[in-house]
Amino acid sequence: MSRSMPLLSTTLAAVLALAPALAGAAATDAASGGGIAWRSIPGGAFRSAVRFEEERPVLPVAPFQLMERPVSNAQFAAFVARRPEWRRDRIPALFSSPGYLGHWESADAPGARLDPDAPVVHVNWYAADAFCREAGGRLPDFLEWEFAAAADATRADARHDRQWRLRQANDGTPHAPDAAADAPANVYGVRGLHGAYWEWTGDATSLLGGGDRRGRDDGDALQYCGASAMAFNDPADYGAVKRFVLLSALTPAATLGNLGFRCARSQP
Amino acid sequence: MNHHFKPLRTALGLALALSLCGPLPVALAALAGPDAPAATMLPGSSLYQVDAGLTDQHGQPLRWSDLHGRPQLVSMFYANCHLMCPLILENAKALQKQLGADGERLGVAVITLDPARDTPQALAAVAADHRTPAAWRYLRPEPDAVRALASVLGVRYRFRDDGSINHTSVLVLLDAEGREVARSEVTGIAPDPAFVQQVRATLAAD
Repeated sequence: MSRSMPLLSTTLAAVLALAPALAGAAATDAASGGGIAWRSIPGGAFRSAVRFEEERPVLPVAPFQLMERPVSNAQFAAFVARRPEWRRDRIPALFSSPGYLGHWESADAPGARLDPDAPVVHVNWYAADAFCREAGGRLPDFLEWEFAAAADATRADARHDRQWRLRQANDGTPHAPDAAADAPANVYGVRGLHGAYWEWTGDATSLLGGGDRRGRDDGDALQYCGASAMAFNDPADYGAVKRFVLLSALTPAATLGNLGFRCARSQP
Repeated sequence: MNHHFKPLRTALGLALALSLCGPLPVALAALAGPDAPAATMLPGSSLYQVDAGLTDQHGQPLRWSDLHGRPQLVSMFYANCHLMCPLILENAKALQKQLGADGERLGVAVITLDPARDTPQALAAVAADHRTPAAWRYLRPEPDAVRALASVLGVRYRFRDDGSINHTSVLVLLDAEGREVARSEVTGIAPDPAFVQQVRATLAAD
Protein backbone atom coordinates (compact mmCIF):
# COMPACT_ATOMS: atom_id res chain seq x y z
CA MET A 1 0.00 0.00 0.00
CA SER A 2 1.21 3.39 -0.89
CA ARG A 3 1.16 4.66 2.67
CA SER A 4 3.61 2.07 3.85
CA MET A 5 6.38 3.14 1.50
CA PRO A 6 6.49 6.89 1.65
CA LEU A 7 10.25 7.25 1.49
CA LEU A 8 10.76 5.37 -1.72
CA SER A 9 7.78 7.04 -3.34
CA THR A 10 9.01 10.43 -2.33
CA THR A 11 12.48 9.78 -3.60
CA LEU A 12 11.32 8.48 -6.93
CA ALA A 13 8.85 11.29 -7.35
CA ALA A 14 11.57 13.79 -6.52
CA VAL A 15 13.91 12.31 -9.10
CA LEU A 16 11.27 12.45 -11.79
CA ALA A 17 10.39 15.98 -10.84
CA LEU A 18 13.94 17.24 -11.05
CA ALA A 19 13.17 19.29 -14.11
CA PRO A 20 9.90 20.90 -13.12
CA ALA A 21 8.34 23.21 -15.62
CA LEU A 22 8.25 26.84 -14.64
CA ALA A 23 4.75 27.60 -13.55
CA GLY A 24 3.14 29.94 -15.99
CA ALA A 25 5.38 29.00 -18.88
CA ALA A 26 2.74 27.40 -21.05
CA ALA A 27 -0.48 28.12 -22.87
CA THR A 28 -1.43 31.65 -23.71
CA ASP A 29 -4.51 31.11 -25.80
CA ALA A 30 -6.64 28.90 -23.60
CA ALA A 31 -10.08 30.09 -22.68
CA SER A 32 -9.95 31.70 -19.26
CA GLY A 33 -11.91 30.39 -16.32
CA GLY A 34 -15.00 28.25 -16.31
CA GLY A 35 -15.60 26.95 -19.79
CA ILE A 36 -14.36 23.44 -20.40
CA ALA A 37 -13.86 22.26 -23.98
CA TRP A 38 -14.38 18.52 -24.36
CA ARG A 39 -13.03 16.46 -27.24
CA SER A 40 -14.34 13.07 -28.30
CA ILE A 41 -11.98 10.12 -28.33
CA PRO A 42 -13.36 7.22 -30.34
CA GLY A 43 -11.75 4.39 -28.41
CA GLY A 44 -11.09 0.95 -29.84
CA ALA A 45 -8.72 -1.97 -29.39
CA PHE A 46 -5.48 -0.64 -27.97
CA ARG A 47 -2.12 -2.17 -27.22
CA SER A 48 -0.86 -0.43 -24.12
CA ALA A 49 2.83 -0.01 -23.47
CA VAL A 50 2.02 -1.29 -20.01
CA ARG A 51 1.36 -4.91 -19.30
CA PHE A 52 -1.44 -4.93 -16.78
CA GLU A 53 -1.03 -8.06 -14.72
CA GLU A 54 -1.32 -11.17 -16.85
CA GLU A 55 -3.85 -9.83 -19.29
CA ARG A 56 -3.54 -9.97 -23.02
CA PRO A 57 -1.74 -6.97 -24.46
CA VAL A 58 -4.62 -5.59 -26.55
CA LEU A 59 -7.38 -4.08 -24.44
CA PRO A 60 -10.67 -2.42 -25.39
CA VAL A 61 -11.04 1.31 -24.76
CA ALA A 62 -14.64 2.56 -24.75
CA PRO A 63 -15.40 5.89 -26.43
CA PHE A 64 -14.94 8.81 -24.04
CA GLN A 65 -14.37 12.52 -23.91
CA LEU A 66 -11.31 14.34 -22.69
CA MET A 67 -10.70 17.98 -21.91
CA GLU A 68 -8.95 19.78 -24.75
CA ARG A 69 -6.50 21.28 -22.27
CA PRO A 70 -5.37 20.57 -18.74
CA VAL A 71 -7.30 22.35 -16.01
CA SER A 72 -5.95 25.90 -15.70
CA ASN A 73 -5.14 28.06 -12.70
CA ALA A 74 -8.20 30.16 -13.51
CA GLN A 75 -10.49 27.15 -13.72
CA PHE A 76 -9.19 25.78 -10.46
CA ALA A 77 -9.54 29.16 -8.75
CA ALA A 78 -13.18 29.24 -9.84
CA PHE A 79 -13.59 25.76 -8.37
CA VAL A 80 -12.17 26.64 -4.96
CA ALA A 81 -14.40 29.72 -4.94
CA ARG A 82 -17.42 27.45 -5.43
CA ARG A 83 -16.09 24.75 -3.09
CA PRO A 84 -14.05 26.56 -0.44
CA GLU A 85 -13.32 23.32 1.42
CA TRP A 86 -10.68 22.80 -1.27
CA ARG A 87 -8.83 26.04 -0.46
CA ARG A 88 -5.35 25.30 0.82
CA ASP A 89 -6.25 26.87 4.18
CA ARG A 90 -9.47 24.89 4.62
CA ILE A 91 -8.77 21.52 3.06
CA PRO A 92 -9.51 18.76 5.60
CA ALA A 93 -6.44 17.03 7.02
CA LEU A 94 -7.53 13.81 5.30
CA PHE A 95 -6.81 15.39 1.90
CA SER A 96 -4.15 17.89 2.80
CA SER A 97 -0.56 17.81 1.70
CA PRO A 98 2.24 20.25 2.42
CA GLY A 99 2.61 21.57 -1.09
CA TYR A 100 -1.06 21.77 -2.02
CA LEU A 101 -1.52 24.99 -4.05
CA GLY A 102 1.50 26.28 -2.16
CA HIS A 103 2.70 28.27 -5.17
CA TRP A 104 -0.47 30.37 -5.31
CA GLU A 105 -0.18 33.89 -4.01
CA SER A 106 -3.16 33.46 -1.71
CA ALA A 107 -5.53 30.73 -0.63
CA ASP A 108 -8.14 31.72 -3.19
CA ALA A 109 -6.11 33.04 -6.11
CA PRO A 110 -3.00 32.15 -8.09
CA GLY A 111 -1.91 35.78 -8.15
CA ALA A 112 -0.44 37.97 -10.86
CA ARG A 113 2.84 36.06 -11.10
CA LEU A 114 1.11 32.99 -12.52
CA ASP A 115 -0.48 32.69 -15.92
CA PRO A 116 -4.20 32.12 -15.31
CA ASP A 117 -4.36 29.91 -18.39
CA ALA A 118 -1.40 27.74 -17.45
CA PRO A 119 -2.15 24.27 -16.09
CA VAL A 120 -2.77 24.25 -12.36
CA VAL A 121 -0.07 22.27 -10.57
CA HIS A 122 0.59 21.34 -6.95
CA VAL A 123 -2.83 19.73 -6.83
CA ASN A 124 -3.19 16.34 -5.23
CA TRP A 125 -5.30 13.45 -6.47
CA TYR A 126 -8.15 14.16 -4.07
CA ALA A 127 -8.57 17.71 -5.33
CA ALA A 128 -8.27 16.67 -8.97
CA ASP A 129 -10.89 13.97 -8.40
CA ALA A 130 -13.22 16.44 -6.69
CA PHE A 131 -12.81 18.99 -9.49
CA CYS A 132 -13.68 16.46 -12.16
CA ARG A 133 -16.66 15.10 -10.25
CA GLU A 134 -17.98 18.62 -9.85
CA ALA A 135 -17.50 19.16 -13.60
CA GLY A 136 -19.69 16.16 -14.30
CA GLY A 137 -16.76 13.98 -15.20
CA ARG A 138 -13.95 11.98 -13.69
CA LEU A 139 -10.24 11.60 -14.05
CA PRO A 140 -9.28 9.50 -17.06
CA ASP A 141 -7.87 6.05 -16.53
CA PHE A 142 -4.24 5.55 -17.50
CA LEU A 143 -5.29 3.44 -20.49
CA GLU A 144 -7.62 6.17 -21.77
CA TRP A 145 -4.93 8.77 -21.32
CA GLU A 146 -2.42 6.63 -23.15
CA PHE A 147 -4.90 6.01 -25.96
CA ALA A 148 -5.43 9.74 -26.50
CA ALA A 149 -1.71 10.45 -26.15
CA ALA A 150 -0.77 7.88 -28.80
CA ALA A 151 -1.97 10.38 -31.40
CA ASP A 152 -0.01 13.21 -32.97
CA ALA A 153 -1.36 16.00 -35.17
CA THR A 154 -2.00 13.71 -38.12
CA ARG A 155 -2.06 10.11 -36.89
CA ALA A 156 -4.32 8.38 -34.38
CA ASP A 157 -1.45 6.11 -33.42
CA ALA A 158 1.96 7.62 -34.06
CA ARG A 159 3.81 5.34 -31.71
CA HIS A 160 5.59 3.42 -34.47
CA ASP A 161 7.39 6.67 -35.34
CA ARG A 162 10.67 6.36 -33.53
CA GLN A 163 11.55 10.05 -33.71
CA TRP A 164 8.19 11.12 -32.32
CA ARG A 165 8.57 8.59 -29.58
CA LEU A 166 12.08 9.70 -28.70
CA ARG A 167 10.96 13.28 -28.20
CA GLN A 168 8.64 12.09 -25.47
CA ALA A 169 11.58 11.41 -23.24
CA ASN A 170 11.18 15.12 -22.49
CA ASP A 171 7.55 14.82 -21.35
CA GLY A 172 7.03 16.65 -18.09
CA THR A 173 9.81 19.14 -18.80
CA PRO A 174 9.87 22.51 -20.58
CA HIS A 175 11.43 20.71 -23.56
CA ALA A 176 8.45 18.42 -24.07
CA PRO A 177 7.01 18.20 -27.61
CA ASP A 178 3.78 19.99 -26.62
CA ALA A 179 5.33 22.45 -24.20
CA ALA A 180 5.38 25.32 -26.70
CA ALA A 181 2.32 27.53 -26.71
CA ASP A 182 1.82 26.99 -30.43
CA ALA A 183 2.13 23.21 -30.36
CA PRO A 184 -0.60 21.72 -32.55
CA ALA A 185 -3.56 19.78 -31.21
CA ASN A 186 -3.57 16.06 -31.89
CA VAL A 187 -6.00 14.45 -34.32
CA TYR A 188 -8.72 14.49 -31.67
CA GLY A 189 -8.26 18.20 -31.00
CA VAL A 190 -6.62 17.51 -27.63
CA ARG A 191 -3.64 19.69 -26.65
CA GLY A 192 -0.69 19.37 -24.35
CA LEU A 193 -0.76 15.64 -23.63
CA HIS A 194 2.98 15.53 -24.18
CA GLY A 195 3.54 18.84 -22.50
CA ALA A 196 5.61 20.27 -19.70
CA TYR A 197 3.28 18.84 -17.08
CA TRP A 198 2.41 15.36 -15.96
CA GLU A 199 -1.25 14.66 -15.35
CA TRP A 200 -3.06 12.61 -12.73
CA THR A 201 -5.11 9.62 -13.79
CA GLY A 202 -8.07 8.24 -11.85
CA ASP A 203 -6.34 4.93 -11.32
CA ALA A 204 -2.96 6.43 -10.43
CA THR A 205 -2.97 4.90 -6.98
CA SER A 206 -4.02 1.49 -8.29
CA LEU A 207 -1.47 1.21 -11.07
CA LEU A 208 0.90 -1.23 -9.45
CA GLY A 209 -1.61 -4.01 -9.81
CA GLY A 210 0.32 -6.22 -7.44
CA GLY A 211 -2.24 -5.96 -4.66
CA ASP A 212 -2.14 -9.67 -4.03
CA ARG A 213 1.51 -9.42 -3.03
CA ARG A 214 1.13 -6.72 -0.48
CA GLY A 215 0.54 -9.07 2.42
CA ARG A 216 3.97 -10.60 2.02
CA ASP A 217 7.19 -9.41 3.45
CA ASP A 218 8.81 -9.13 0.05
CA GLY A 219 5.84 -7.48 -1.61
CA ASP A 220 6.85 -3.86 -1.51
CA ALA A 221 10.36 -4.42 -2.75
CA LEU A 222 9.20 -6.53 -5.66
CA GLN A 223 6.62 -4.01 -6.74
CA TYR A 224 9.16 -1.26 -7.05
CA CYS A 225 12.03 -3.16 -8.55
CA GLY A 226 11.59 -6.37 -10.48
CA ALA A 227 7.87 -6.31 -10.94
CA SER A 228 7.62 -2.83 -12.33
CA ALA A 229 10.60 -3.33 -14.62
CA MET A 230 8.88 -6.32 -16.16
CA ALA A 231 5.44 -4.86 -16.45
CA PHE A 232 5.69 -3.32 -19.91
CA ASN A 233 4.64 -4.60 -23.31
CA ASP A 234 6.76 -1.93 -24.86
CA PRO A 235 9.57 -0.63 -22.64
CA ALA A 236 10.78 1.57 -25.51
CA ASP A 237 7.65 3.72 -25.31
CA TYR A 238 9.53 6.13 -23.08
CA GLY A 239 6.76 8.64 -22.58
CA ALA A 240 4.25 6.06 -21.43
CA VAL A 241 6.75 4.15 -19.31
CA LYS A 242 8.05 7.27 -17.60
CA ARG A 243 4.51 8.45 -16.94
CA PHE A 244 3.46 5.09 -15.55
CA VAL A 245 6.45 4.87 -13.23
CA LEU A 246 5.86 8.39 -11.94
CA LEU A 247 2.16 7.96 -11.33
CA SER A 248 2.49 4.55 -9.72
CA ALA A 249 4.99 5.98 -7.25
CA LEU A 250 2.70 8.75 -6.06
CA THR A 251 0.38 8.66 -3.09
CA PRO A 252 -2.99 10.39 -3.56
CA ALA A 253 -1.86 13.26 -1.34
CA ALA A 254 1.28 13.94 -3.35
CA THR A 255 1.75 17.21 -5.21
CA LEU A 256 4.42 18.21 -7.71
CA GLY A 257 5.32 21.45 -9.44
CA ASN A 258 4.89 19.80 -12.81
CA LEU A 259 1.85 17.63 -12.12
CA GLY A 260 -1.62 18.80 -13.07
CA PHE A 261 -4.66 17.06 -14.48
CA ARG A 262 -7.49 17.11 -16.96
CA CYS A 263 -10.88 15.43 -16.75
CA ALA A 264 -12.62 12.83 -18.84
CA ARG A 265 -16.19 11.72 -19.09
CA SER A 266 -17.76 8.57 -20.41
CA GLN A 267 -19.84 8.88 -23.56
CA PRO A 268 -23.47 9.35 -22.66
CA MET B 1 1.54 -7.51 10.10
CA ASN B 2 -0.17 -4.94 7.98
CA HIS B 3 -1.87 -2.76 10.48
CA HIS B 4 -1.26 0.91 10.01
CA PHE B 5 -1.82 2.96 13.06
CA LYS B 6 -3.79 6.07 12.49
CA PRO B 7 -2.27 8.14 15.27
CA LEU B 8 1.11 8.23 13.55
CA ARG B 9 -0.35 9.20 10.21
CA THR B 10 -2.55 11.82 11.79
CA ALA B 11 0.30 13.28 13.75
CA LEU B 12 2.44 13.42 10.64
CA GLY B 13 -0.35 15.00 8.64
CA LEU B 14 -0.90 17.60 11.31
CA ALA B 15 2.77 18.36 11.60
CA LEU B 16 3.09 18.83 7.86
CA ALA B 17 -0.04 20.91 7.68
CA LEU B 18 1.08 23.07 10.57
CA SER B 19 4.48 23.65 9.08
CA LEU B 20 3.13 24.76 5.74
CA CYS B 21 -0.31 26.17 5.91
CA GLY B 22 -0.15 28.65 8.74
CA PRO B 23 -1.13 28.48 12.34
CA LEU B 24 -4.64 27.09 12.41
CA PRO B 25 -5.30 24.70 9.58
CA VAL B 26 -7.07 22.24 11.82
CA ALA B 27 -9.52 24.78 13.13
CA LEU B 28 -10.07 26.07 9.62
CA ALA B 29 -10.60 22.58 8.32
CA ALA B 30 -13.65 22.41 10.53
CA LEU B 31 -15.18 25.21 8.50
CA ALA B 32 -15.87 22.96 5.55
CA GLY B 33 -17.91 24.37 2.71
CA PRO B 34 -21.66 24.76 2.62
CA ASP B 35 -21.97 21.71 0.40
CA ALA B 36 -20.70 19.40 3.12
CA PRO B 37 -22.83 20.14 6.18
CA ALA B 38 -22.34 16.74 7.82
CA ALA B 39 -18.59 16.96 7.48
CA THR B 40 -18.40 20.18 9.49
CA MET B 41 -18.87 18.24 12.73
CA LEU B 42 -16.19 15.71 11.90
CA PRO B 43 -12.44 15.93 12.42
CA GLY B 44 -10.40 16.90 9.39
CA SER B 45 -8.76 13.49 9.33
CA SER B 46 -12.09 11.66 9.28
CA LEU B 47 -12.56 9.45 6.26
CA TYR B 48 -16.12 10.76 6.23
CA GLN B 49 -14.74 13.98 4.76
CA VAL B 50 -15.16 12.25 1.41
CA ASP B 51 -18.27 13.60 -0.23
CA ALA B 52 -20.10 10.50 -1.43
CA GLY B 53 -23.68 9.38 -1.79
CA LEU B 54 -24.53 5.70 -1.51
CA THR B 55 -27.51 3.36 -1.58
CA ASP B 56 -27.83 0.44 0.81
CA GLN B 57 -29.04 -3.09 0.07
CA HIS B 58 -32.60 -2.03 0.93
CA GLY B 59 -32.51 0.77 -1.64
CA GLN B 60 -32.19 3.50 0.99
CA PRO B 61 -29.99 6.45 -0.01
CA LEU B 62 -27.50 7.77 2.51
CA ARG B 63 -24.37 9.90 2.71
CA TRP B 64 -21.04 8.26 3.48
CA SER B 65 -20.73 10.54 6.51
CA ASP B 66 -23.99 9.11 7.88
CA LEU B 67 -21.93 6.14 9.09
CA HIS B 68 -20.42 8.28 11.85
CA GLY B 69 -21.48 7.80 15.44
CA ARG B 70 -20.12 4.34 16.16
CA PRO B 71 -16.97 2.43 15.27
CA GLN B 72 -17.21 0.84 11.83
CA LEU B 73 -15.51 -2.03 10.11
CA VAL B 74 -15.34 -1.09 6.42
CA SER B 75 -14.31 -3.10 3.39
CA MET B 76 -14.62 -2.92 -0.38
CA PHE B 77 -15.60 -5.86 -2.54
CA TYR B 78 -17.90 -6.79 -5.41
CA ALA B 79 -20.75 -9.27 -5.59
CA ASN B 80 -19.55 -11.38 -8.49
CA CYS B 81 -16.33 -12.27 -6.69
CA HIS B 82 -15.91 -15.83 -5.64
CA LEU B 83 -12.42 -16.04 -4.20
CA MET B 84 -11.43 -13.22 -1.89
CA CYS B 85 -14.77 -11.54 -1.26
CA PRO B 86 -16.36 -14.48 0.58
CA LEU B 87 -13.25 -14.52 2.76
CA ILE B 88 -13.71 -10.83 3.57
CA LEU B 89 -17.31 -11.41 4.62
CA GLU B 90 -16.57 -14.56 6.62
CA ASN B 91 -13.57 -12.94 8.28
CA ALA B 92 -15.63 -9.93 9.36
CA LYS B 93 -18.44 -12.20 10.52
CA ALA B 94 -16.06 -14.28 12.62
CA LEU B 95 -14.47 -11.17 14.02
CA GLN B 96 -17.78 -9.72 15.11
CA LYS B 97 -18.74 -13.04 16.69
CA GLN B 98 -15.53 -13.08 18.73
CA LEU B 99 -16.49 -9.76 20.23
CA GLY B 100 -19.53 -11.26 21.90
CA ALA B 101 -22.14 -8.77 23.04
CA ASP B 102 -19.81 -5.87 22.28
CA GLY B 103 -19.93 -6.85 18.62
CA GLU B 104 -23.37 -5.33 18.31
CA ARG B 105 -21.87 -1.90 18.83
CA LEU B 106 -19.61 -2.36 15.83
CA GLY B 107 -21.02 -1.20 12.53
CA VAL B 108 -20.06 -3.20 9.46
CA ALA B 109 -20.14 -1.60 6.01
CA VAL B 110 -19.24 -3.41 2.82
CA ILE B 111 -18.87 -1.13 -0.20
CA THR B 112 -19.02 -2.39 -3.75
CA LEU B 113 -16.33 -1.48 -6.27
CA ASP B 114 -18.77 -2.26 -9.07
CA PRO B 115 -21.82 0.02 -8.76
CA ALA B 116 -22.79 -0.63 -12.39
CA ARG B 117 -23.59 -4.27 -11.70
CA ASP B 118 -24.09 -4.38 -7.95
CA THR B 119 -27.62 -3.11 -7.58
CA PRO B 120 -29.20 -3.03 -4.12
CA GLN B 121 -30.93 -6.31 -5.05
CA ALA B 122 -27.62 -7.93 -5.96
CA LEU B 123 -26.13 -6.74 -2.69
CA ALA B 124 -29.14 -8.01 -0.73
CA ALA B 125 -28.60 -11.38 -2.37
CA VAL B 126 -24.99 -11.45 -1.17
CA ALA B 127 -26.15 -10.65 2.35
CA ALA B 128 -28.66 -13.49 2.20
CA ASP B 129 -26.19 -15.97 0.68
CA HIS B 130 -23.65 -15.31 3.37
CA ARG B 131 -26.17 -15.01 6.20
CA THR B 132 -24.52 -11.89 7.50
CA PRO B 133 -26.17 -10.04 10.39
CA ALA B 134 -29.14 -7.89 9.39
CA ALA B 135 -27.44 -4.75 10.71
CA TRP B 136 -24.62 -4.96 8.16
CA ARG B 137 -24.75 -2.39 5.44
CA TYR B 138 -23.95 -3.27 1.85
CA LEU B 139 -23.37 -0.02 0.05
CA ARG B 140 -23.41 0.97 -3.58
CA PRO B 141 -21.63 4.30 -4.10
CA GLU B 142 -22.49 6.77 -6.81
CA PRO B 143 -20.23 5.61 -9.65
CA ASP B 144 -18.05 8.72 -9.55
CA ALA B 145 -17.36 8.32 -5.84
CA VAL B 146 -15.82 4.84 -5.93
CA ARG B 147 -12.28 6.01 -6.63
CA ALA B 148 -12.31 8.57 -3.83
CA LEU B 149 -13.63 6.06 -1.31
CA ALA B 150 -11.06 3.50 -2.41
CA SER B 151 -8.28 6.07 -2.11
CA VAL B 152 -9.00 7.01 1.48
CA LEU B 153 -9.56 3.38 2.44
CA GLY B 154 -6.26 2.40 0.84
CA VAL B 155 -7.95 0.00 -1.55
CA ARG B 156 -6.31 -0.50 -4.92
CA TYR B 157 -8.42 -2.00 -7.64
CA ARG B 158 -8.51 -2.53 -11.33
CA PHE B 159 -11.20 -3.92 -13.59
CA ARG B 160 -9.93 -6.68 -15.80
CA ASP B 161 -11.34 -7.22 -19.25
CA ASP B 162 -13.09 -10.42 -18.15
CA GLY B 163 -15.23 -8.41 -15.74
CA SER B 164 -13.39 -9.46 -12.62
CA ILE B 165 -11.69 -6.92 -10.40
CA ASN B 166 -8.28 -7.18 -8.87
CA HIS B 167 -8.49 -5.45 -5.53
CA THR B 168 -7.01 -5.06 -2.10
CA SER B 169 -8.82 -7.25 0.42
CA VAL B 170 -8.72 -5.34 3.64
CA LEU B 171 -10.83 -4.57 6.68
CA VAL B 172 -10.45 -1.00 7.85
CA LEU B 173 -11.41 -0.06 11.40
CA LEU B 174 -12.77 3.47 11.78
CA ASP B 175 -13.54 5.10 15.11
CA ALA B 176 -16.92 6.73 15.70
CA GLU B 177 -15.72 9.90 14.00
CA GLY B 178 -14.40 8.09 10.96
CA ARG B 179 -10.70 8.23 11.73
CA GLU B 180 -8.76 5.16 10.65
CA VAL B 181 -7.61 3.20 13.69
CA ALA B 182 -6.22 0.02 12.16
CA ARG B 183 -6.43 -2.17 9.10
CA SER B 184 -6.16 -5.88 8.49
CA GLU B 185 -5.32 -7.56 5.22
CA VAL B 186 -7.66 -10.46 4.68
CA THR B 187 -5.85 -13.65 3.73
CA GLY B 188 -8.26 -16.22 5.17
CA ILE B 189 -11.43 -16.57 7.17
CA ALA B 190 -9.70 -16.37 10.55
CA PRO B 191 -9.50 -12.84 11.93
CA ASP B 192 -6.07 -11.55 12.88
CA PRO B 193 -5.97 -11.67 16.71
CA ALA B 194 -4.04 -8.40 16.92
CA PHE B 195 -6.68 -6.69 14.81
CA VAL B 196 -9.48 -8.13 16.94
CA GLN B 197 -7.72 -6.65 19.95
CA GLN B 198 -7.69 -3.24 18.28
CA VAL B 199 -11.39 -3.51 17.55
CA ARG B 200 -12.03 -4.38 21.22
CA ALA B 201 -9.98 -1.43 22.38
CA THR B 202 -11.79 0.94 20.05
CA LEU B 203 -15.19 -0.26 21.23
CA ALA B 204 -14.08 0.03 24.85
CA ALA B 205 -12.92 3.60 24.28
CA ASP B 206 -16.07 4.61 22.45
